[in-house]
Amino acid sequence: MKFASTLVATFLFFASASVALAQTDCTKLVPPSPWGPNDQTGATNRVTPAVTKAAAAEIQEGKVVPMSYPLVDGVPLFGTRFTKTILTATSLAPGASFGENELTYMEDTWLSQSHVGTHLDGLGHIGRKDCYFNQIAMGKFINQNAMTKLGLEHLKSFATRGVIIDAVKVFQQSGKFKTNSACKKPCLEKGTVISAADLQAGLKMYNVTLREGDIVVIHTGWGDLFEQFPAQNAAYNSGEPGIGKDAAKWLIGQKVVAVGADTWAVEVIPGEDPKEAFIVHNLLITDSGIHIIENVRTDLMAAEAARTNRATFFFNMTVPRAVGMTGNFVGIDGIR
Amino acid sequence: MSSPLWPAPASGRRPNAVLVVLLAAAVLAALHAGAEDRRYTIAFANLTEEPGVTLEATGFMGREVRDSFVLAARRLPVDLVFYDNRRDVRTALDNAADAARRQVDLFVEYFHEPTANDGVARTLREARIPVLAVNYAVGDAPLYTADNAAAGRIGGEALADFAARSWQGRTVFGLIVGAVNSRQDRLPERVQGVIEGLRGRQRSIRIVNLDTQGNHATVATLVGRVVAAQPNAKFLIAALDDVTALAAKSALEGAGRVADGAIVSFGCDRSIHGGASDRKEIDPSNRGSIVLGSVAFYLDRYGYDVLPLALRMLRGEAVAARTTTTHKLITAANVFREYPPYDLQ
Repeated sequence: MKFASTLVATFLFFASASVALAQTDCTKLVPPSPWGPNDQTGATNRVTPAVTKAAAAEIQEGKVVPMSYPLVDGVPLFGTRFTKTILTATSLAPGASFGENELTYMEDTWLSQSHVGTHLDGLGHIGRKDCYFNQIAMGKFINQNAMTKLGLEHLKSFATRGVIIDAVKVFQQSGKFKTNSACKKPCLEKGTVISAADLQAGLKMYNVTLREGDIVVIHTGWGDLFEQFPAQNAAYNSGEPGIGKDAAKWLIGQKVVAVGADTWAVEVIPGEDPKEAFIVHNLLITDSGIHIIENVRTDLMAAEAARTNRATFFFNMTVPRAVGMTGNFVGIDGIR
Repeated sequence: MSSPLWPAPASGRRPNAVLVVLLAAAVLAALHAGAEDRRYTIAFANLTEEPGVTLEATGFMGREVRDSFVLAARRLPVDLVFYDNRRDVRTALDNAADAARRQVDLFVEYFHEPTANDGVARTLREARIPVLAVNYAVGDAPLYTADNAAAGRIGGEALADFAARSWQGRTVFGLIVGAVNSRQDRLPERVQGVIEGLRGRQRSIRIVNLDTQGNHATVATLVGRVVAAQPNAKFLIAALDDVTALAAKSALEGAGRVADGAIVSFGCDRSIHGGASDRKEIDPSNRGSIVLGSVAFYLDRYGYDVLPLALRMLRGEAVAARTTTTHKLITAANVFREYPPYDLQ
């Protein structure tokens, strides 16, 4: 009996060992979080009370600049992705109102994928194999409905300083501007790589130095095609201008909280290396816990910066505390 | 005669050897850095950019070849000048003459006609402009080319391996379907490669060539006739391009013989693989397909291979007389690794 139990125990030991060996060693694929082994928050750790207080100094006129696009059926999406609302308005039917005050009501059912319109990529959105931010082996932390780690509920505030970089102006001034004929306003052509030097030139244009905890928003003009939905959806999705790897690495070094752009992926598509997939997403999200914000409306803030010669603003964005979700649509206002 | 870079040693004094070596190293480093920093103007004369016209018996078109140069140049110190040879001898010669007048730094020629290529070589030699040839020889210029024989072998071996795994003891035919005799696209080399690949692993296999003469509409008839005549046989089908592969699959479906076929094609263009949303035949979620894979020809990545070669030539580095595309079988298991999709957000 003792022999049999020893045999069973030995078998179970080797069986569990083989399972363990089959898992990816995430310490070899993803760096640890600078905020410790239990961190699920990432770069919003940088938004301290001092950072928010300093950002509040950007509010000088009380002017609010919208920085998100309307979320409506028909905006550019890939394949079978969708966003759809269904209105419940039954109480408007004759005799369906409530009480002597004849109260009526309406509600919506919102059927949508989370990565549509102006939206935030959470830390559970992008990984290498099954390894995600902070070396988390996500295979152990998902069920059919949600993630049990790295959900949006772990994020802190985004109440910080926003900095707009007008890449259109940078490329125009450097004489390397190439546009797309479908854009009604100046836009960079898809495939245009925005380098670290381009970002630095854009900051120098308005005498801005990035601070730890900033959110950088890049105006490429490509969002003009989003605004033309649905007519230019195919053109919008066919590629985009965006940051390359060296720009991403430079932004990581600046310790920003998030990077946004008026494009669907923030990074240049087609990418610099045809054998790499969304490599900037890996660098920012997986390796650094820095969020990506896609389809940001940037043209109004770029115009505001040009008019006032000031590229900084208070970044006002609320992210739903959607438990276990990889991302969500957001509303953004830039307040000056 | 003394070098103008440093003075001759005064008589009676020994030269400071260390200083001389350091100076020489500094000069060489400066020259090397200059070569690294310098931007070059490279001309690329494409075979044709006519919409709908496919190249090298694949589904790729000239526009995709051109775009690959544009994309690859983003990371390189290169300004590009494009020409369209329009598959026309006179145009090809005129394009070379124009590039010579412009004094571009290097000329990349993609043209199929040998006599015209001799003329192009002559014109550019006289203008002292180095040439890099694509797919067809241009004088003694270094050549970057598809390797049809190697690609054929990869496809043939994949089919033979499948038969060894799945159809032991069954009667197996090899069918080679496509424009098997098209010398212009060097398909006889691809066919020979397939035969070698099949026979290398299935020595006694019977191989039948089904010549579509480039007309995909004939595939159903040609394949249908053969499978109908062999009701108990299995068929390893080497389709010489991706559209032919899809037509052959359709033919087997029409004949009710899907279980009796395995197909490998050549090219791996966008008709046979797609993306995360745009699903096609070769897809990670379609691992049971009888289309085992397609041998990649990468015409959509030529720029990424050719421009670095051109830069090495311009920097005076040695370049092999012949560099070939690294062909690879793209399957459901590796398609997203080899062609990462970007249709998601």
